[in-house]
Amino acid sequence: MTGSLLLQSLVLGVLLGGLYALLAAGLTLYFGVMRVVMIAHSAFLILAAYLAWYFSQQTGLDPLLSLVFTVPLFFGVGVVMQRLLISRLRPATLTMMSVLLTFSVALVIEGTLGFLFGGTHRRIQLPYAGTSFEIFGANIALVKLIAFGLAAIALAGLYVLLKFTPLGQALRATIQHPEAAQLVGINTDRVAGYGFGLGLATAAIGGTALALDSTIYPSLHWHWIGPLMAIIVVGGLGSIPGAAIAAMALGLGQSLLQIPLGTTWAQTFFYLALFATLMLHPQGFFGDRLAQRF
Amino acid sequence: MTTSKNFRIGALVAAAALTLSGCLSGSTGASGDDGEGPIQIGISLPLTGDFSEPGKGVQRGYEAWAAHVNQNGGLLGRQVELNILDDQSNADRVATDYEKLINQDGVDLVFGPFSTRLVVPAAQVAQDYGFLFVEPAGAAEEVFEQGFDNLFYAAPAIAEDHYNHLADEITALPPNQRPKTAAYAAMDDPFAQGTAYGLKNKLQDAGIRTVVDEVYPPNTTDFGSIAAKIADSRADIVVGGTQYQDAVNLIVALRQLGYQPDMAAFSTAPTNPEFPRAIGRQTEGILSPTGYTPEAKFPTNREFVEFYTERHGNEPNEDEANAWTTGQVVAAAVEAVGCANPDPECQQKLVDWLHNNEVDTVVGPLSWDKTGKPQGAHLIQQYVDGEIKIVLPDETKEADFIHPKPNW
Repeated sequence: MTGSLLLQSLVLGVLLGGLYALLAAGLTLYFGVMRVVMIAHSAFLILAAYLAWYFSQQTGLDPLLSLVFTVPLFFGVGVVMQRLLISRLRPATLTMMSVLLTFSVALVIEGTLGFLFGGTHRRIQLPYAGTSFEIFGANIALVKLIAFGLAAIALAGLYVLLKFTPLGQALRATIQHPEAAQLVGINTDRVAGYGFGLGLATAAIGGTALALDSTIYPSLHWHWIGPLMAIIVVGGLGSIPGAAIAAMALGLGQSLLQIPLGTTWAQTFFYLALFATLMLHPQGFFGDRLAQRF
Repeated sequence: MTTSKNFRIGALVAAAALTLSGCLSGSTGASGDDGEGPIQIGISLPLTGDFSEPGKGVQRGYEAWAAHVNQNGGLLGRQVELNILDDQSNADRVATDYEKLINQDGVDLVFGPFSTRLVVPAAQVAQDYGFLFVEPAGAAEEVFEQGFDNLFYAAPAIAEDHYNHLADEITALPPNQRPKTAAYAAMDDPFAQGTAYGLKNKLQDAGIRTVVDEVYPPNTTDFGSIAAKIADSRADIVVGGTQYQDAVNLIVALRQLGYQPDMAAFSTAPTNPEFPRAIGRQTEGILSPTGYTPEAKFPTNREFVEFYTERHGNEPNEDEANAWTTGQVVAAAVEAVGCANPDPECQQKLVDWLHNNEVDTVVGPLSWDKTGKPQGAHLIQQYVDGEIKIVLPDETKEADFIHPKPNW
C-alpha cells in the first residue's frame, strides 16, 4: 500500500461519509419524531434521482436546478403522507406497522418508476462528470465535492432549523416527550407532519446528490436501505448529529478497509458495526444524550 | 382414528390424481407422436422477475424465428407452434415448467431458457427425458461441467473465450507497444468473472503481470475505492468483468482519479445503447467482446435483421439473436435427421447430428465439443469516432483497432 493510495482512500472516505450522512438524515428524523421506520426513504431517494435525471434530460439544464421543484414537492408529499397514511396507524403498533406500510410505499415507487422509465439503467451525462482537482496527490472529483457540499448545507440547515426556530423547538419537544409537548400546547400531529415533510425534503436533496455520480435504476433502493439503516442505528435512532458522525465513521472505515480486505469484506463492516452496536450499546452511540439535547 | 381417516382420504385423492394425470399425459402424448399437425416447441422463460428484460428479448427472438419458419413453409412441411411458460426467474419453477411441457403438454422439442442459473436445472430435466437441449444463454463454465451430453450452447463462445481475439492481438503486439501490467475488476458473478478471468489467464501466460485483481458484490454502489486501487497501480491496461451499471460507475470513477490506461476493456456494458448516453464523448477506444451485431456479414444474418426490423421497428440485439440462433440450430438438426417428436430415438439422432456437424447461423458457423461448448470466440468491438465498431478479428472488422486508447 502506498502513501498516496492511503491519502486518496481517506479523501474518498470523507466524501462518501458526507453522502451517507445526507442520505441517512431523513431516516433518523422520522424515527426520532414519530417512531416510524421508513423503509421507503431510499425509494424516495431514487425517485428524486429519477426526477433530476428526467429534468436534465428534458430541459438540458443542470440537474441541481431540479431541487427548486423537488424539495418543496417532497416536503408536501411528506406532510400528506404522514397525515393520510402514517397517522392512521395505531400508536401501540406504530413502529412495526410503519415497516409494512412504508415497505408497500417503496414497492409502489419502484413499480411506478419501472412503468414510466423502464428497467434501463440511467445516468445523467454531466460535462463535469470526470472533472477533478489534485491536492497533495489526491484527486477530488467535482461531483463528489458538490454532493458533499449539498450534504453540509442540508445538514447545517436542518440543524439551524431544529435548534433556533419555533418549529424546531416544537419538533424537538415532540421527539423528547410527545405527551408533555401536547400539554404545553404543541399540536404534535401537525408537527409530526412537518417533521415527515422535512425528512422527505432531505431525500430530495440526497437523491439529486446521488444522481450526480451514480447510475440509477428502479430497484437500486434495496441496495441502499440496509447500509442507511445500519448508520442510523449505530448513530442512535433519532439523532441527526449521531447519524452524521456514524455515517462519516462508516464511510471512512469502508473506504480504508477496502484497501487490505477488498470490496466484499469491506461491505460487511457496516453490519459488523450494526451487530456490535446492538450488543454493546443498543441505544446507539449518540442516541441517548444528543437526541435529547438536539 | 382421525389420522388414519385423513390418511385414507389422502391416499384416495392421490390415487385419483395419479390416474387422472396418467390419462391426461397418455392422451396428449399420443397426439404429439402422430407426425401430423404443427410441431410443438416447449419453452420456459423468465418473463417476470430478475431476468425479465433479457427474458423478453429471448421471447421476441423465438417468436420472430417461428414466424419466419412458418412463412417459409414450416419445418419438415409442418408449422411450428411455441408453447412459452413464465418461470418468474425462479430455478425451481423452471424445472417444473419443463417437466410439465414434456410430460403433460407432450411437446415435440424444447428450447432453452435464459441465464446460467436457469439453464442448469432445465437441462437436467431435458436430460432425464432424453430431449435435445439447445440453449440461448448460459455461457458460464459450470454449465458445461455438469456432464450433460444433450446440451448445446447456441452462441459463438463461452464467457472464458469471449476475449480470445483480443488476447491474440495483445500478445502479437511488438514488444515496445505491449502492455506490461494489467488491472482486473470483476463482479462476483460467474459470467462477468468468466470473461475477465479468461483474458487474465491468457495475458498472465504471456507474461503480463496482474497488479490489481478485485472482486466486488453485485450490490456495490461505490466504485471510488476500487478505482483508487487501479489508479494507484498505474496498470497499462484495465479489464472489467462487468454487467452494466458497475462498468459505467467504474469508468467515471477512474476518470475522476485521472487514470489513463493504454487499453480499457469491459464486458457487456459498452454494447448497450445507453452506454454512450451515460459516458458521453469519453467512450473513445473502449473495447468490448460481443456475441452478435446486426452489422455482422454472416449469410443468414441479413435476412434475420430485415425480418426482425420489419416486425419490431428496431434492430435485434444479442438476446434476440441468440434465440434465433437456437431456432436455427434445432431446425438444422431436424431437417437433416428428418424427425421432430418426443421419441427418445429421434431426440438422440438430433443430439448425435449436432455433435458431428457445423451449423451456419446468424452469429457465424457453430460447432460444439462433447460438453456442448461452442468452439468459437466473440467479435471484439471498439468505440471508434463515437460509434461502436468491430475491430477484431481482421476478417470481419469494420474499423482498425486503436492502440493506445485516446485519453478519457
